[in-house]
Amino acid sequence: MGVQSTTNKKTCDWVLVFTVIILVLIGFIMVYSASYPDGYYKFGGNGFYFLKKQLIAGAVGIVAMLIAMNINYRIYKKLNKVIFLVCIVAGVSLFTAHGTEANGAQRWIDIAGNSVQPSEIIKIAGVLYMAYFLESKSAVISKFKAGFIPSILLIGLFSGLIAIQKDLSTSAVLALSLSIMFFAAGANILYFLGLGAVGTLGAIFLIAKEQYRINRVLSFLDPFKYKMTVGWQVVQSLYALGSGGLFGMGLGKSRQKFFYIPEPYNDFIFSIIGEEMGFIGCILIILLFVVVIWRGIRIAMNAPDMFGSFVAIGITSIIGIQALIHIAVVTSSMPPTGIALPFISAGGTSLFVMLASVGILLNISKYSDTYRS
Amino acid sequence: MKKRNNKKAPNVKNKKRMLFLLLGFCIVTIGLIIRLGYIQILQGNDLKKQALEQWARDITINAKRGTIYDAKGKKLAVSINTDTVICFPQDVMKASTKKGTAINDNIQTDSKILQIINSISNIIRNKKPIKQQSEENKIDVKTPEEIAETLSNILEMDYEELYEKITKNSKYVIVKKWITREQVEQIREADLSGINIIDDTKRVYPYENFASYILGFTSVDQEGLYGIESTYNKYLTGVSGRWVVNTDGNGRELPYGFDEYYEPQNGLSVVLTLDETIQHFAEKAAERAYVDNNALKATVLVMDPNSGDILAMSSKPDYDPNNPREPLDETKKQEWENLSSQELQKEWFDMWRNPIVNDIYEPGSTFKLVTTAIALEENKTSMDHTYYCDGYVREVKSYKPIKCWRYYNPHGSQTLAEALQNSCNDALARIGLDIGKDLFYKYLKALGFGEKTGIDLNGEASGIVNHPSYMKDVNVVTQSFGQGISVTPLQLVNAVSAIVNGGNLMEPRIVKELIDEEGNVIEEFEPVIKRKVFSVETTKDMLDIMESVVTEGSGKNAYIPGYSVGGKTGTAQKVIDGKYAEGKYVTSFIAAAPTYDPKLVVLMTIDEPTGGSYYGSIIAAPLVGEIINETLKYMDVEPQYTEQELGLIEKSYVEVPEVRGKTIEEASKLLSKIGLDHNITLDIDSDTIVKDQFPQPGTEVLKDSLITLMMN
Repeated sequence: MGVQSTTNKKTCDWVLVFTVIILVLIGFIMVYSASYPDGYYKFGGNGFYFLKKQLIAGAVGIVAMLIAMNINYRIYKKLNKVIFLVCIVAGVSLFTAHGTEANGAQRWIDIAGNSVQPSEIIKIAGVLYMAYFLESKSAVISKFKAGFIPSILLIGLFSGLIAIQKDLSTSAVLALSLSIMFFAAGANILYFLGLGAVGTLGAIFLIAKEQYRINRVLSFLDPFKYKMTVGWQVVQSLYALGSGGLFGMGLGKSRQKFFYIPEPYNDFIFSIIGEEMGFIGCILIILLFVVVIWRGIRIAMNAPDMFGSFVAIGITSIIGIQALIHIAVVTSSMPPTGIALPFISAGGTSLFVMLASVGILLNISKYSDTYRS
Repeated sequence: MKKRNNKKAPNVKNKKRMLFLLLGFCIVTIGLIIRLGYIQILQGNDLKKQALEQWARDITINAKRGTIYDAKGKKLAVSINTDTVICFPQDVMKASTKKGTAINDNIQTDSKILQIINSISNIIRNKKPIKQQSEENKIDVKTPEEIAETLSNILEMDYEELYEKITKNSKYVIVKKWITREQVEQIREADLSGINIIDDTKRVYPYENFASYILGFTSVDQEGLYGIESTYNKYLTGVSGRWVVNTDGNGRELPYGFDEYYEPQNGLSVVLTLDETIQHFAEKAAERAYVDNNALKATVLVMDPNSGDILAMSSKPDYDPNNPREPLDETKKQEWENLSSQELQKEWFDMWRNPIVNDIYEPGSTFKLVTTAIALEENKTSMDHTYYCDGYVREVKSYKPIKCWRYYNPHGSQTLAEALQNSCNDALARIGLDIGKDLFYKYLKALGFGEKTGIDLNGEASGIVNHPSYMKDVNVVTQSFGQGISVTPLQLVNAVSAIVNGGNLMEPRIVKELIDEEGNVIEEFEPVIKRKVFSVETTKDMLDIMESVVTEGSGKNAYIPGYSVGGKTGTAQKVIDGKYAEGKYVTSFIAAAPTYDPKLVVLMTIDEPTGGSYYGSIIAAPLVGEIINETLKYMDVEPQYTEQELGLIEKSYVEVPEVRGKTIEEASKLLSKIGLDHNITLDIDSDTIVKDQFPQPGTEVLKDSLITLMMN
């Protein structure tokens, strides 16, 4: 195996590198612009508060990306038991003394003064373990008992670990990503569709369980009717996009970021992009994501082994699904939920893990077998 | 096959599915791009408009209302800068929704999907406590309750009232107008979202109840409601400016400087023909006539007959335009407290009526001047024509004989001037009949009776003039001495002005010009001659007659040495509900001076005098005389003394002694000793105390002058 790796080693996917770095840089600018009012009013006149955090996370993340780029991805397969353990520990860590509560949900843990989102760690760790699992089951993957049942149990376990943190949206992102991996790995379409049906029912159940989720569904169906209450965020997001028009109001000129959209540097950063850079700017960002997804799937297809391929498809899925959900929420194309826009939204753990994940993706790209395509 | 050869590489099925995934991603992406384009481009303008609405706070900046000046540039009504607290309830309410209280189970569920979701949720949840939905905004945003509390402390207003105001479903609410400097500071310090302070102006009338009926007053919103404030409102108001502030989600101003400011255009100032000093004389005289005679009302109107300029216009009782809804009289104030709002409104409207312009009355004997002038103009009489008074008007049939007022001692033979001096009804009846009803009517119309004079004050009355087709001789007779015709004091003064100014009927002018803030004249209003009614000869004759009334006849009390005054008294029974009311009179005196070159026409009316006498010669003439004396002196009109006067002046000026507080007996003796007359009041005890006297002690008067004494 060691011989194979050295002979197949090529340069990594530079298109992906550049695209991701452009997105991260755009992220810095947009986080600065969108977070300025919040930083200014909530953190003692410090308009750079969020930018500073984002710059640090970005720098550390790029370093992590460079490191991950140069770590043979196969090592994660060998460390599968460790990774599995990491998932469990991260999942329950919130309920230890380090966990902090915010907005009625446990989403952060405190590590040496830094708040870290365990769900971000579970996402990438879950993908790595799932890839290992799917490769090991590749022969029987289309079977019901040997392939389907264990796979959905595993998907259920990982997403469940996030769901118990009351972070249904992240949990759903992971469940979808792992399901996509399962689908790519060769799941039986019939069983898979059945899973989809069960998943939908489960989602309805989970939504109906909490009033705030129902309210979000209501606000999606007619946001303007609930403008002052549950529809507030969606309406404000639409106002931002509408104000932007084709060319935008100009960088830094958003007005909606001034406490009309709550936390505009995070789950609604795309609205601010739309307001400041217009439809043109939005298309640009979307195209950059299309490039990322295209390169990710290309890497997955050209990976020398199933593990690498599945890891690539998993990481790409997480990026793609988050981007789609974020944009869909912002454009009121689905009920609002809090999903960060990868590489762009403020959030240290997310940016760090995303960049590290891209590092893994890039490492896989080094071994790609281009002759096969 | 490949699968076996290279077991670990992804197989074709894997790759096909991956390509399928890429395709799926692209389809969803395209869908989102279309959606985005729909929102940003197709709906963009609409959404932007709504967004603008929530950002922009449109504040009206009131333009500064123009000043009202008198003819000499004294400020009669000014606007001063103050601060007003306003509120954007939208921003106040935001604070409450941010606290997450607005979400509840009661969200309307009119769509079926929602009902299903809700019913499922209720089953699953078993009514668990409700979670807060919105991410709490932890900035120093205060709740409406807190804001109302803070404001009620600062503004000393009722909490409930304030809370209602700041949570009103409206874009913009005025919380309190005209607050103090300290309150401004306190509110600025409190930094309340949705609460702003704007520049505002307040109307102030520095002379208080002075020329109230000319100036009028404004509403709290600086809208003119009465008087010049109302009729010249559009010039005084100016164009209000706008201040569009863009605010953040918490109602704070955005830091961009994106706000737009449209400078208000201040209103023009109005320069009146009114003269503050003359108005003062008029106010003083009217007040005295009102108080001393315990009258219902007393009015004074001073006009420049040559231009039609209103120099003074006063009516008592009046009100203070600074506080137009409160009577000045203390007892009345207390009475008003118990009135219903409807009754109160009636009282207000009564108080705001300007009797000189809005009310009509029967002019009585003062109208004889008009009748005489018409007859002179039409050669129906002449200065050497004689009339015989036997006490009764025998020319017309009437179920009750029409008598001359001195039927018990008929005037006998008299010249035209003497007839006027005697105010002889018998002679005037003859003159009226000689004119004839059609000609009479024609002249009354020409003199502006029965129609509005066109003065720039609101609610002007037209008066009532009988049409000849409804008139019998008896009506002509009564009309000739001022009965059966109703005029406003203004109409009468205007007509008499035409008689004395050479025959021109003027349009009464009260506003001379409009000026801007720098004092540049924007618009000038020239005197307007409506029509020529009389010849100069008529004017001359009439002035002679009027002068003789004062020197020889009933107007004696208006005599002023040096300023030959011409005038005519009038005492008319009031018509109430179509009948002459017993014992209720409108006493009046109209005068023009100086007769050699009239500069003033003055009319005083006293409505229902109850202070002892109701004769114009006694109660109105001296006050009119004083107004004329003071005004002509103020106007620097050189007195022209007759030789007789000059001779008298040397030796016969005496100082009026203080007789107030003395008994009538003492007072009478004192006055006689220094050669002064006093009015005679019948049926009083010799020890009745003199309450007031006119002229005041210390005034220099000619010997034989009449001192009016007022008793308790």
